[in-house]
Amino acid sequence: MSTLSDTYKDPINLEVLRRRQRMRQKMAKHGGGCIPPMDLFRSEAMHLVQLIVPIESAHLTVSYLGDIGLIQFKDLNAEKSPFQRTYASQIKRCGEMTRKLRFFNDQMSKAGITRSSKSVARADMHLEDLEAKLGELEAELIEVNANNEKLQHGYSELTEYKLVLQKAGEFFKDAQISASARQKEISPDLPAESLATPLLKDHESSHDLSKQVRLGFVTGLVPKEKAMAFERIIFRATRGNVLLRQVALEEAVVDPTSGQKVQKNIFVVFFSGERLKSKIVKISEAFAVNRYPFTEDMGKQTQMITEVSGRLSELKMTIEAGLQHRGTLLRRIGEQYEQWNQVVHKEKSIYHILNMLSIDVTKKCLVAEGWSPKYATKKIQNALQQAAIDSSSQVGTIFRVLHTKKLPPTYFRTNKFTESFQAIVDAYGVAKYQEANPGVFTVVTFPFLFAVMFGDWGHGICLLLATLYIISKEKKFSGQKLGDIMEMAFGGRYVILLMSIFSIYTGLIYNEFFSVPFALFGPSAYACRDASCSDSTTVGLVKVRDTYPFGVDPSWHGTRSELPFLNSLKMKMSILLGVAQMNLGIMLSFFNALFQFIPQMIFLNGLFGYLSLLIVAKWYTGSKADLYHIMIYMFLSPTDDLGENQLFENQKTVQLVLLLLSLIAVPWMLLPKPYILKARHKTRHQDESYALLDDNDDSLHGEADRDSDDQEFEFSEVFVHQLIHTIEFVLGAVSNTASYLRLWALSLAHSELSAVFYEKVLLLAWGYNNVIILIVGIIVFIFATAGVLLVMETLSAFLHALRLHWVEFQNKFYEGDGYKFRPFSFALLNNEDESS
Amino acid sequence: MGFMLTTLIFIVIGMIACLCTRICCNKGPSANLFHLTLVTTATVCCWMMWAIVYLAQMNPLIVPILSEGE
Repeated sequence: MSTLSDTYKDPINLEVLRRRQRMRQKMAKHGGGCIPPMDLFRSEAMHLVQLIVPIESAHLTVSYLGDIGLIQFKDLNAEKSPFQRTYASQIKRCGEMTRKLRFFNDQMSKAGITRSSKSVARADMHLEDLEAKLGELEAELIEVNANNEKLQHGYSELTEYKLVLQKAGEFFKDAQISASARQKEISPDLPAESLATPLLKDHESSHDLSKQVRLGFVTGLVPKEKAMAFERIIFRATRGNVLLRQVALEEAVVDPTSGQKVQKNIFVVFFSGERLKSKIVKISEAFAVNRYPFTEDMGKQTQMITEVSGRLSELKMTIEAGLQHRGTLLRRIGEQYEQWNQVVHKEKSIYHILNMLSIDVTKKCLVAEGWSPKYATKKIQNALQQAAIDSSSQVGTIFRVLHTKKLPPTYFRTNKFTESFQAIVDAYGVAKYQEANPGVFTVVTFPFLFAVMFGDWGHGICLLLATLYIISKEKKFSGQKLGDIMEMAFGGRYVILLMSIFSIYTGLIYNEFFSVPFALFGPSAYACRDASCSDSTTVGLVKVRDTYPFGVDPSWHGTRSELPFLNSLKMKMSILLGVAQMNLGIMLSFFNALFQFIPQMIFLNGLFGYLSLLIVAKWYTGSKADLYHIMIYMFLSPTDDLGENQLFENQKTVQLVLLLLSLIAVPWMLLPKPYILKARHKTRHQDESYALLDDNDDSLHGEADRDSDDQEFEFSEVFVHQLIHTIEFVLGAVSNTASYLRLWALSLAHSELSAVFYEKVLLLAWGYNNVIILIVGIIVFIFATAGVLLVMETLSAFLHALRLHWVEFQNKFYEGDGYKFRPFSFALLNNEDESS
Repeated sequence: MGFMLTTLIFIVIGMIACLCTRICCNKGPSANLFHLTLVTTATVCCWMMWAIVYLAQMNPLIVPILSEGE
């Protein structure tokens, strides 16, 4: 064979080598790429596109691209801070508008006006017009609010004044009489109600008498809680030389300063002398008491009252008019609110994206880079053309595809049915770009495994009816905002639909209708040994007819040997289903990375596939062989004679061969892959060192990518990685197979719970022959079934089926370290806004 | 034999389901293959479960022993 250097001297051979390298890469990517393409099996083919957009059509271009929603823009200005970016001022303006809209929202909710969810669709409005409009509306609203507050302040003050006039007048007269009487008398006897007890009796009063000052008074309102403290301080400060009368108001009055309703007392303080007056005034100010002027003259009092009443009614009318005006304003805003909100959001997101594009000032254009699926190329180009025409720019946008080695994002085109199943897979890990998607099989196997654990066709029908109801109201629910739990149930409605259909099927097979069996498919296969059925409770029935054609024979329910039979059946079924699913997983790994699946298949099937075969053979022949014994002694003493455990001829040789193959499979899993990878890496390096010569002009990122991919090939690292993988697989083969026994465990739990509820609630209630107890029993049965079996068991079986998929199925082939495709799309933005 | 007959019935039902899906929603070759995979997987799962339960009851090693006071 010619040496490598000779090969490179020959141009034709160089081309051959190139082609071989490309094919190897393709094979490595696609694995067994010989199957025809299938929807959802691999993620969409993506490419990195570069758009060169002239500045005048930039806004429109981004807007149209957002409508299509199929490009994920890369942030080319990542090093810049938010303030350094080109369109930072625009974003600030949008932020201002958002704040104004939030303010309107607050005002509307305070006034109790609901905004219409669907606003009147006006023509597209420009950002500047909207900004101006929002600005003037805000100013108007603030003004109206301020006016309203002022008017309310005045109104409450007048109300208080009116109350003071009314109440104070009542006790003013007799209080004044008693106070002046007290002044004239020098006697220390004081009226019982007066709390104004003088401290220094004789001296002060004689002092006051000599002065003969006229009595002054102060009237006002004091909050009820502070009334006692107020009284005490006035009493102490004035040494008891005042008369204080208070009367509580029955209803709370709106306090002018705080705007809240407060319980207040009206008080009158009678004093003599300027010094006392100033003291009292200061104390009232400290207590935030509202003082109001009062005249002694009776006539003037009535006049004041009428005047104040008149002013009050005037004010009230003004306030009403003001509130109405505000109401109409807010209603007008409410009609357009949704549309404005959307416009502002849209603009904000457009400017956000525009900030991500790198600007080329000399050429007056913006450069955008982004990932987009290959099938969308035509759509995108159309949109670019449309934007260029609409913005009447001289130049069109340039659309270029870049070649890169970076990992593209993963994008699956799902419809509303497959979306929820893909979400289940994505919750564990987003698929790597173009690796085999387990979602394809999850659509069927997940509801199926759920149903194996849930199997009861009565409960299945209940679930089905509930789901059909949700699906029939699909349109209505998708527009509404639902609670968290309802949201999850609605999102998974198709999953639950399939789950319920499969549950009906497995329920028919397990023959359980709310734990009651029916002989739907023919007569039971078992009957008494003789006519008297004497030994049916000791030795049991006997099989007289052909096997019951579909499902578990109805004779089993309620017998003493029901559990041993069903346990054996369900455990073996779990193993068989588990081995089948794991084989499927290994076969899927064939599509990801060729040929590593062969030793894995040999190992798994040599041991557990053989066990499955033994199970089926034992059933088919009806032999009494002990399978535990066979499997254990296959390892402990493989050369021993099998004796009564023999199921087929030459079983001993078969077992020895399988054991040997499994032992060989382990180093086969471990050793070849690191060496093959090493050799591949070496040849790739040698190829590339020559390919650099006639490098075609790739993108600026081309070289960077190539460098980043050429990591150092650490042989020891790869070897350890493969060792871990092998050990994981070998040990996992046992543990994963055992893990599938949860299918048996949960289905046993379900049938036992269901049997308990049926026998111990319904039948018990039936046995009493009393209508009331029967009704109570039925209600308890319904609630127990719905709460425990339909809700708790559904969640439980859902969770375990999920675990079986995520761990036991997917660890055979799934890598799941990709990232999701998040395109710039207005529809997606709206959904995010609604959910936030 | 009951087993073979019913297996045949399952295969027939599976094929009819494939045809129905092909008639109802014919959305291009890749989508058709996807639907075919789904229907086939469902048929195989259902058949496996039925076959397991049927085989287990063909030659029983234990029989129903009625409990007292039935």
